[in-house]
Amino acid sequence: MKLSATRDGTRDDPAEPQAAPVAKKGHPVRRRLAGHLVRGLVMIWVVTTISFVIIRNIPGDPVRGQYEALIERGMSPEQAERATAVLYGFLPTGTLWEQYVGYMKALLHLDLGQSLSTPGTEVTTLLGSAASWTILPVLGGTLLSFLLGVTLGVYAGIKRAGKLGDLLTISGSLLHGVPQYVLGLLMLAIFTTLWPILPAGGPVDVEFPPGLNGPYLASLVQHATLPVLTYALASYGGWVLAMKSSVATVLGDDFILAAELRGLSRWVLFRYVARNAILPLFTILALSLGMLFGGAIFIERIFNYPGLGLLLVDSIGARDYALMGGAFLVTTIAVVIANIAADLLYTVIDPRVRTGGAA
Amino acid sequence: MTVTAILPDGQGGGSARATLRRNFWRGVARVLRRKPSRIAGVVIIALFALMALVGPLLYPAHLPRDDDALYAPPSLAHPFGTDFEGTDVLALVVTGSRYVILTGLATALITVAVGTALGLLAGFHRGRWDTVLMRVTDLQLTIPGLPLLLVLSTVWKFEGPLEMGLVLGLLGWGGIARAVRSQTLSLRERGFIEAARGLGLSTPHVIVRELLPGMAPYIAMNMLIAVTGAIYAQVGLFFLGVLPFDSNNWGVMLNLAVFGGGALTSAAALPYLLAPLLAILLLTLGIVLVVDAMDEIFNPRLREE
Repeated sequence: MKLSATRDGTRDDPAEPQAAPVAKKGHPVRRRLAGHLVRGLVMIWVVTTISFVIIRNIPGDPVRGQYEALIERGMSPEQAERATAVLYGFLPTGTLWEQYVGYMKALLHLDLGQSLSTPGTEVTTLLGSAASWTILPVLGGTLLSFLLGVTLGVYAGIKRAGKLGDLLTISGSLLHGVPQYVLGLLMLAIFTTLWPILPAGGPVDVEFPPGLNGPYLASLVQHATLPVLTYALASYGGWVLAMKSSVATVLGDDFILAAELRGLSRWVLFRYVARNAILPLFTILALSLGMLFGGAIFIERIFNYPGLGLLLVDSIGARDYALMGGAFLVTTIAVVIANIAADLLYTVIDPRVRTGGAA
Repeated sequence: MTVTAILPDGQGGGSARATLRRNFWRGVARVLRRKPSRIAGVVIIALFALMALVGPLLYPAHLPRDDDALYAPPSLAHPFGTDFEGTDVLALVVTGSRYVILTGLATALITVAVGTALGLLAGFHRGRWDTVLMRVTDLQLTIPGLPLLLVLSTVWKFEGPLEMGLVLGLLGWGGIARAVRSQTLSLRERGFIEAARGLGLSTPHVIVRELLPGMAPYIAMNMLIAVTGAIYAQVGLFFLGVLPFDSNNWGVMLNLAVFGGGALTSAAALPYLLAPLLAILLLTLGIVLVVDAMDEIFNPRLREE
């Protein structure tokens, strides 16, 4: 379903006709951006509402439970109410509607409440430090696989009938088909159990003092190697396949035939093909960066890497509902931003979209 | 032939359809024969189906434990060794397959039914319906699926494979809805659909008899992909350990092997981890090969070359 299917689902996005109606006012780029912002905000609103509804419907009602426990401990109702509100970001009393409004208001002030499993810590603080552990491996892994997949994909597209081209396509389909956690577990089994050359988990060895010193940085790199390689392997297949089909489309275009007839050298032809075929892939690149924040869960859990995905899983295990809602929200915002970035990027690199005319 | 042609919709249409069907199967056989790997794909999937169907019947309801053979190495009696309780790993993989594959099928059915229905509705009626449905579809596609599932698991205990399939299916129809819609949009402008409508045939008839057959192969392919996706999602959820588990399945095995059994610190427990991984890899391989063959059967452009 979504986990791997979404990527295919969103993939046909750039192919959808996007001819903007000419009659409307305003600059086309600005109008598109405005549309995206509105849709993004609706999206974020829907997700916050979902998290509110879920937190309210958790069996045992933790919010109410916390409130009553505090009163039993001798707090006055007002004090208990305030303390609980600090934890969850909304009041434990009042009608459902009042609670909902309170929750939304707190979110507007970027107040996600306090973590329940690590008392006294703001959810935003936890999210911030987790995000930094997610962003670097995701970026590194995605860029690595993008470069590799696109280069090999051009070859697979041009030499479709050949042996090596066929092999590349099959490797792409297989790696695209295999779930991330299978790849991750295999990597872990190979490089930490059977042939122990890399650390099995965690972000860094604790023995080194953090800072810009050699051993610490080396340990960081060592620990990041397996997660980054797994990201890269998991998304490589998608790039090869996407680039291959994009190249196949471009090869059928008239301007390639014209270039061939003009007797241009193979190298020039290759550049023509590659440069045109890569355009739609940039959109997928931006989208997949956003999606990986959701998909990073498996890799972070397997390698015990303290990113957003692990934070979400841990918050569920610890029944830390405030943290859970926050982690879910941040993951969604990453996707929304990636969507907007993907569209803007496409507008910048493909002039046909920018002018707003029929492509 | 002349006689049957006059018959309104009885045997006449039947025999023409039969010829079509025979040609279709001949085409399928040709595509399969060209690359032996595709036959392998069909065989693999058939094996998994068989395993899910009769596999659990081969073993007692409660698999025997053996305290003398904890994490036994692979041997003739235990081809994949045993787990932390001394239970045969192969038996666990086989009996666990039914849960996994049943969920996959349930999910695929719901995904395809909902996705096709909404896609047809949006594409065929266009206008306001289309706008609303596509907004909802976009939303469904954008909300990150796995995190949503994790969060949902705190309020909803996904009990049993069918309920699990229902949840996964309801979260995954967006891609198919979008694709079916764009196919409908392009098909409805074609001559034969306009002719059918001009003849005054009812909308259900046009949709079911004229539109759907053209899209069937595409939908079938998506269904296969949905099965895989559901299997991954479900095994993954159990692997993460956020769902309570009372029955045996591959995800539970992975979870116990990695986080309980220390399969990654000692090579002795490794077969316990590798067996379900191998099963997933093999199933993936089978589905990839069959999808590749289906691609060629239904996409004539790929057939030349």
